[in-house]
Amino acid sequence: MIKSLDPRITREQIEENNSIEPLTPMDNWETYEVFHQKKRGDQHMHVGIVHAPNPEMALLFGKEQYGRRNITANIWVVKTANVFACEYDDADMFETTPEKQYREAGGYKVMEKINKYKKAQKTV
Amino acid sequence: MNSIALKELLYKMADDLLIIGHRNSEWTGLGPILEEDIAFSSMAQDKIGQSQALFQLLHELGEQEPDTVAFTRNANQFHNAQFLELPNGDYDFSLMRHFLYDVADQLRFEFLANSSYEPLAKVARKIKGELKYHVFHANTWVVKLGNGTEESKARMQTALNEAWNYALGMFETSEFENDLIASGVFVGEEALKKQWLDTIAPIIEKASLQIPSSNTWAPVFGGRKCKHTEHLAPLVDEMSEVFRVDPSAEW
Amino acid sequence: MYGNAYIDPNEKANAMIAGEDPIKLAEFEARIARGEKIEPKDWMPKEYRKQLIRMIEQHGHSEIIGALPEGTWITRAPGFKRKMALMAKVQDEVGHAQLLYSAAETLGKSREDMTNDLITGKSKYSNVFNYPAFTWADACIIAWLIDAGAIINQVANAKGSYGPYCRALDRICTEESFHLKYGHDNVVTLATGTPIQRKMVQEALTRWWPPIMHFFGPSDKISQHTEILMRWKVKMASNDDMRQQFLNMYVPKIWDLGLTVPDTALKKNEETGLWEYTEPDWDEFKRVINGGGPCNAERLAVRRMAEERGRWVRKALYNASEKYVTPLA
Repeated sequence: MIKSLDPRITREQIEENNSIEPLTPMDNWETYEVFHQKKRGDQHMHVGIVHAPNPEMALLFGKEQYGRRNITANIWVVKTANVFACEYDDADMFETTPEKQYREAGGYKVMEKINKYKKAQKTV
Repeated sequence: MNSIALKELLYKMADDLLIIGHRNSEWTGLGPILEEDIAFSSMAQDKIGQSQALFQLLHELGEQEPDTVAFTRNANQFHNAQFLELPNGDYDFSLMRHFLYDVADQLRFEFLANSSYEPLAKVARKIKGELKYHVFHANTWVVKLGNGTEESKARMQTALNEAWNYALGMFETSEFENDLIASGVFVGEEALKKQWLDTIAPIIEKASLQIPSSNTWAPVFGGRKCKHTEHLAPLVDEMSEVFRVDPSAEW
Repeated sequence: MYGNAYIDPNEKANAMIAGEDPIKLAEFEARIARGEKIEPKDWMPKEYRKQLIRMIEQHGHSEIIGALPEGTWITRAPGFKRKMALMAKVQDEVGHAQLLYSAAETLGKSREDMTNDLITGKSKYSNVFNYPAFTWADACIIAWLIDAGAIINQVANAKGSYGPYCRALDRICTEESFHLKYGHDNVVTLATGTPIQRKMVQEALTRWWPPIMHFFGPSDKISQHTEILMRWKVKMASNDDMRQQFLNMYVPKIWDLGLTVPDTALKKNEETGLWEYTEPDWDEFKRVINGGGPCNAERLAVRRMAEERGRWVRKALYNASEKYVTPLA
């Protein structure tokens, strides 16, 4: 029996060569994605996963793993299996997005036009 | 208001929380799965923090500093219910104890939120919120395991059977019950016990478990009068081992 | 380019990238060079995936095993503040294991497989945890100086290339600031306390100094292997660099408390700016990491016990209709 410096361990009466059956697939259940809302009014942000056997426990675990230190107003959990994602391979879909100045405030140079006009008026 | 009655009430609550917090902390790093290990540890920390808050109230009533009171008394000076000093056993017993104690504890603090003793009412109002999680956690686990496999159901039923009379021992009355009730400090153990029985019944049923039949009920009393099982002295020795190296030192 | 970029798998230097599509490899390396992160579903060389799984998994194992030396003192922590703080610290280690295993899972290895590899001794963990925490002061030294070492490692790796690992490390680094403060506060309290306390912490420091010097591992062999791992931002800093960083940050603080480090050769060379020290015993390091340390057997036996004890719980809640999907991020 292991005699440990940790009294908890000594009490467990563990055999040093205590081999066990390996963990089988899904022994640790499936995973849920956790979304954390800091304050009312904020977006829920993705913070990571928990392994859980049902939604109630996913919430219980999500709170402690991702909310025990942080200011928390609310938590969502969603099964990983229910998350649908784009392919990173298709990221070229998003490449030209920043170039569409016609729909950005920065794409409009109003002062340039005004100054050009005023300058032209002066020379008249 | 009877200050001896008040102190006795505070001591038993503080000791309950300290001892159960200590027992539950023994699971840290050794739990059945990482996520649950983390959750159980948070609750154990909460309990110890709550214990400290009550020892602080005692300090304001003239008792010594919380650390001194908690870490230098002997086992025969503790007022916790025997239920809480019992060894953890397997996760079945620990969860069942967590359920039976935490439900009672939440109800106790709900009542105390309206205590005529304002410092205690203030602490109770603050603690109530934390206990919501503890009870949600306990209820969820008991129900899920009660309805899990044949093995988990049998384990939870055995745990309930073994815990039952010790759990009833949580409601051991004080000689000052009437004082506490009359002065509005606390509604008393009988009222608490009745509320507790009503609260746990539907959860136990939902968990497909059965409360032992009432003709077998035999509450294990003694803890409130500092009479303990053989488990408390080793616990107290262990808990205070380092502190006692030098109780006057800063640690 | 495709035709010219054939990579000969027989050339030793190229063993790590043999058989990989040269165009994809070039794009992958360019992304990393730009400072962008690699995400789970991205194309990646097999060796990248393999090395990362091994590294992140071992880091996770180090956390869950690391919970045990300090866990030794949970039930005996002196006073309310220390009791709750030590519980919180050890809880954090368990939490870090969870975060790290989760990151490794994104690369395709299940937590069950990782656990099995740990408890059978197949996967390694940080050697420092194979030593015993004899006294309360040992737990304090560990909390300060081992966590300090871990932070240096983590801060370096947080700038690595793999998204999920970086995100896990960001969270971990935030919590580590509590650990470091807690550890330092504890050591300072003992070092400035009663004669018994001073003696306890000095003895603990003397005991732990050799494992601490082993912490960052032996000097890196300069090899193609290391070069490629650095180009892929899997390995972020050399062992010697990190060791120097550690000594530079913490030896002055240790000496500040009037504590003695058990190495008379330890001193900073003011010209080179580098710390000189007695070369650690790397044979001892090897012996311990391969199972010969004082606590190796106990650490793994405890994890096996914990897994086995909890098996009925996990099984009771298992739902056959659920399906495991590799986490996305």
